[in-house]
Amino acid sequence: MNFLKPALLVTLASISFATVANDDWSDENWGEETSSPWQWNGFIETSYGRRLQNDPAINQDKTLSEIRGRVELEYQAESWRIDLKADGIYDDLLHRSDVQTRAANITFSPLDTLDIKAGRQVLTWGTGDYLFLNDLFPKDWQSFFSGRDDEYLKASSDSVKASWFADSFSVDLVWTPRFTPDHTLNGDRFSYFSPTAGKNSAKHLNPDESAGSSWSGRLSTSHNSIEYALYGYLGHWTTPVGINNKGRMTYPELNVWGASVRMPVGQGLFNSEVAWYGSREDTDGSNPKIANSQIRWLAGYEQEIGTNLTAAVQYYLEWTQDYDRLKSNTFFSEYEQDEYRQLLTLRLTKLTHQQKLTWSLFSFWSWTDKDAYLKPSISWRINDQWTVSTGANLFYGENRYSFFGQHKNNTNTWLRVRWNY
Amino acid sequence: MRILRTALFMIVAAATSLATAESTTDASDIVRRANLAYYYAGADGRAEARMKIVDAQGRTQLRQFTMLRRDQSQGGNQDMLVFFSRPSDVRGTVFRVVRQPGNEDDRWLYLPGLDLVKRISAGDKRTSFVGSDFFYEDVSGRDPNADRHTLLETTDKFYVLTSIPKDSESVEFASYQSWINRETLLPEKVEFTNSKGQLYRQMEVLKTDSIQGYPVVLQAKISNLARGTSTLMQMRGIRFDLGLPEGIFSERSLRTPPTQWLRKK
Repeated sequence: MNFLKPALLVTLASISFATVANDDWSDENWGEETSSPWQWNGFIETSYGRRLQNDPAINQDKTLSEIRGRVELEYQAESWRIDLKADGIYDDLLHRSDVQTRAANITFSPLDTLDIKAGRQVLTWGTGDYLFLNDLFPKDWQSFFSGRDDEYLKASSDSVKASWFADSFSVDLVWTPRFTPDHTLNGDRFSYFSPTAGKNSAKHLNPDESAGSSWSGRLSTSHNSIEYALYGYLGHWTTPVGINNKGRMTYPELNVWGASVRMPVGQGLFNSEVAWYGSREDTDGSNPKIANSQIRWLAGYEQEIGTNLTAAVQYYLEWTQDYDRLKSNTFFSEYEQDEYRQLLTLRLTKLTHQQKLTWSLFSFWSWTDKDAYLKPSISWRINDQWTVSTGANLFYGENRYSFFGQHKNNTNTWLRVRWNY
Repeated sequence: MRILRTALFMIVAAATSLATAESTTDASDIVRRANLAYYYAGADGRAEARMKIVDAQGRTQLRQFTMLRRDQSQGGNQDMLVFFSRPSDVRGTVFRVVRQPGNEDDRWLYLPGLDLVKRISAGDKRTSFVGSDFFYEDVSGRDPNADRHTLLETTDKFYVLTSIPKDSESVEFASYQSWINRETLLPEKVEFTNSKGQLYRQMEVLKTDSIQGYPVVLQAKISNLARGTSTLMQMRGIRFDLGLPEGIFSERSLRTPPTQWLRKK
């Protein structure tokens, strides 16, 4: 597959030069595309990231080293649309080439009030910022921790989404025939805390994937600028929080029920979201091999606090149910998180230089876990083709086992250069 | 006789109101009508627009988008959708606004890569629209009641007005002078002066036309004289009174753009 790398580059580069927009600003010449049902574009990106310290658990300084070519193709007919998005990747860290289909779907409206999107797609809902309560669609935490573009935080799934629009509300129903978990840290790039070893490990994790489908639903409406939504999910935990009969990590069954509200308050925006995580295989919380049920709650506020400067704060609570039973049955009492795991996030975004420069800081801080995670970044959109971004993923923690604290030695910095065509 | 009298009355009334319109000297009324002419033509409308953004070093960037607008009431609330098509990194991005003059607008941004509908907090309306020299307010319209207007002179072609903000803390200008075409009521030039009395920003209309009987701006340029940057905006494919359904101005259109209304007829 290594031949792919040069071939892909050459092909993309040659095509791209041909399509560099012919920007004649006379009245007639507006470029080609508005009349054709076909659209295509994409980018080429190189990314590099490395640890800022040694990680004894993993014999690797690099956390990211890849070249990626994206092709996006869209066909828009009068009443339906096809979207294709594929990435050709050469990953120098894992020494392999790959083609990843990010989207391959068709959208159509069998009724005036009904939209169907079927195929591979990225799905998002809910009100949290980097915190997901009722959004159980797959995430890619490896991308998030390694400095890939935010887009890659959301992984795609093979799903059918039906959206029905009534006059005053809408209903979305998503069916994913084969349960698709998150891309969690598996030891390839980042080490993780192993309770059995009592320290960090980089042993490749390969949890057993549950068979079966998952269903997600949302009922949403808005009134006087206030958005309300109810959510439901029938499926599995999206991270491997269970151990099955074979002694392997797996994704236990999970139902989630929740609600959210988002509205203007004062000069800013307020949002709140709640979710009940019902762990179906451990309803009374006594099974140490399966995660307990939880109540999750989020409240956030965002406001522009200066010219092109926005601040957003969120409070997040993870309340583990039947905590006493968990503590008395667990194999690793000392590593269990607090009954009320709480954290605050802060996002600061500043745009300067005709909005070509984006300065961003996102931070998580948990006083119950005694850990923190900072994500500073600067993105420079040089022109319509070139963007250069750099940033870091900085982890702190008092304990080697906490959610963010275990990643202390995964602290890394990254640089990306992207060329859009 | 009665019908005749009524008809006669109506003609006289119409003629009188026409005459008043012709010779209006009330500055606020001129601005109110200019605002309607510029931002409220027809009950709804569609337009394709592109911007050429030039920085102080002469380097250019492009933004191309299609706008749909529907007035909830003349001079009142408006629904807007802005669909970006170029450059490629913003393709598929959709900006949705419920404009509420005198109040904060409701705004959403759809990011297709994440399938994320991001609600945007009410912001300073006098900050750049997508990195251009146009402010949000230049695209969607400034509340005519936000400033005090004075008619300086009436030339053969223009009403020349000067306007001073009622709340000077909320804006970067101290005053602006506008040249409003007496016939079309379109502002053809606006010059902004800062608190030091310097002219630092200007808008010029370069080309106008009449479409379905509505005077429209086809080309306008905003220059930031202090920074040496400028943005040229061109419009095409303008249509009014399409009968855009209220329902398309919703989250649905962010994920599934209403192609039927976006395509040129």
